[in-house]
Amino acid sequence: MASLAGSSISMQPRHALVTSRVSGLKLVSFMNQGRSSLSFGLRSMPARLRISCAAKPETVDKVCEIVRKQLAVPSDKPVTGDSKFADLGADSLDTVEIVMGLEEEFGITVEEDNAENIATVLDAAELIDKLCSEKSS
Amino acid sequence: MNIRCFQRNFSAALPPLVPLQLPSPMETHLWYVLPDEVKSWGLLNQYSELLSPCEREGVNRMRGDQLKKRALLARALVRTTIARYQTNSQMNPRSLKFRKNLYGKPEVEWRDEDNFSPLPLQFNLSHTSTMIACGVTVNVPIGIDIEEKQRRTKNNLIAFAQRYFSAYEVKVLTTISDPEVQRQEFIKLWTLKEAYVKALGKGFSAVPFKTFTIRFRETTLRNFHPPGSSVSEASDIIVESFDDPTNPTNNWQFTLLEVAGSHYGAICIKKDRTAGANELMKLTVWKTVPFVEDVCVSGTDAVVDLGRIIEQ
Repeated sequence: MASLAGSSISMQPRHALVTSRVSGLKLVSFMNQGRSSLSFGLRSMPARLRISCAAKPETVDKVCEIVRKQLAVPSDKPVTGDSKFADLGADSLDTVEIVMGLEEEFGITVEEDNAENIATVLDAAELIDKLCSEKSS
Repeated sequence: MNIRCFQRNFSAALPPLVPLQLPSPMETHLWYVLPDEVKSWGLLNQYSELLSPCEREGVNRMRGDQLKKRALLARALVRTTIARYQTNSQMNPRSLKFRKNLYGKPEVEWRDEDNFSPLPLQFNLSHTSTMIACGVTVNVPIGIDIEEKQRRTKNNLIAFAQRYFSAYEVKVLTTISDPEVQRQEFIKLWTLKEAYVKALGKGFSAVPFKTFTIRFRETTLRNFHPPGSSVSEASDIIVESFDDPTNPTNNWQFTLLEVAGSHYGAICIKKDRTAGANELMKLTVWKTVPFVEDVCVSGTDAVVDLGRIIEQ
C-alpha cells in the first residue's frame, strides 16, 4: 500500500490531482456501479486511473461511517467514495465536525487548506491515508 | 422528486416580480424563506424553470426530497431577489449568470450582451433545513450565516471550541456554567465567525477560525438630547485578528439576530470608510415566498437584535 500512496503523492501538484480524479471518479462509479470497495475496480482499471484511487478501502469505509453518523443519513441512502458531503446535506459546521471526527479516529491533524479541499468521502480518505503514512514515516 | 421529470400543468404563468429599491450605502437587506411554507409543487416546479441547467443538476444531485427542495429554494431566492433590484427594465431571473470568485465565493457575473445594466450589488446566502436567507448590500462585501437555535454539535462543544476557536473564545465559553446557555453562545459565536470568513470571501483556509477572536466590547454612547445629556452603555461586536495587520479589523461591522424565533443569524459587512465611527448598519428584513408575497418583519418580534444591548 505504501508504494501506491507514494506514487500518488509524488505524481502531480494537488489541484492537478483533483482534475484527474474527477474524471477518474466518474469512470470508477460507472464501472463499479456504486460499489464502495475500490480494490475490486483497481485490477481492471488502466494505470492512469489507478493513480487516482489511492485510498484504502477500509479508510473509505470508516469515513463513510463517520459521515453517515454526523449527517444522520437514513440507512436506505447510500454513502460511498464519491458521495459529496454537500449533496448529503452537510453544511459548514457538519463538515468541520466530520473533519474533527476523522482527526480523532485516525490520530491526525488536518490543516485548514487541506480541509477546504475535501468535497467527497474519497477526498477525505485519500488525505487520511496520506497523513497517516507521513506520520509513520 | 426529480424536477426534470415533473409534470408541467401550471395553469398560469408566474406573475411579474415586484421591483425593489436598492439598499442605501451602509444598509443591508435580508431576505429569508421558510421551506415549510412553500408547499405548492406547481410553484416549486416554476422555480425550477428559473435555474440554469447546471443549477438544476446540482439540485437533482442532492440526496432526498427535503435537500432537493432546500437547494431549489436557495437558487430561486437568490435569482428572484437580485432580479427585483433592477431599476431600468424587467430583469428575467433566469437570465442571471453566477460564477465563483478565485476562492469559491459566489457572485453575479454581469455581461455586456445582457439586456440589463449591471447592479452594484453584493450578496451572500446561507441555509439550514428550515430557513434559507440571502443578504444584499450595495458595493459592500457581505457574509451571512444562519443556524437553528436548537442545533447541537455531535462532538463535545468545548473540545470543538478548543480545536477550532481562539483561546479567548474558549475561555468565554468555558466560564458559562449553564450548559444550555453555553450551547446557545457557542452557536452564536459560530455564526459570527462564519459570517466574517464569508464576508472576507477568501475561503476559510485564508482566515482559520483560530486566528481571530470575535467578542463583545463595552462602549459608551453619549446622547445629547434635551433636557440633558445621558450616557448609554452598549455592546459592540468586534473582531480581533492575530496575524493580519494589513486587514484592520475595525473595518468590519457585525449584527447578531434571532430570526423567526427559531434561528440565530449573523451578518458581517465591510464598513464604509466615510461612515462615522458609531454609525450602525441599517438592516431591513423580509420574510418572502418568491412571486407570492413579501412580509417586512423588521421591528416585529421575528427579528430580535442580540448584538447591541443598550442600557441607560
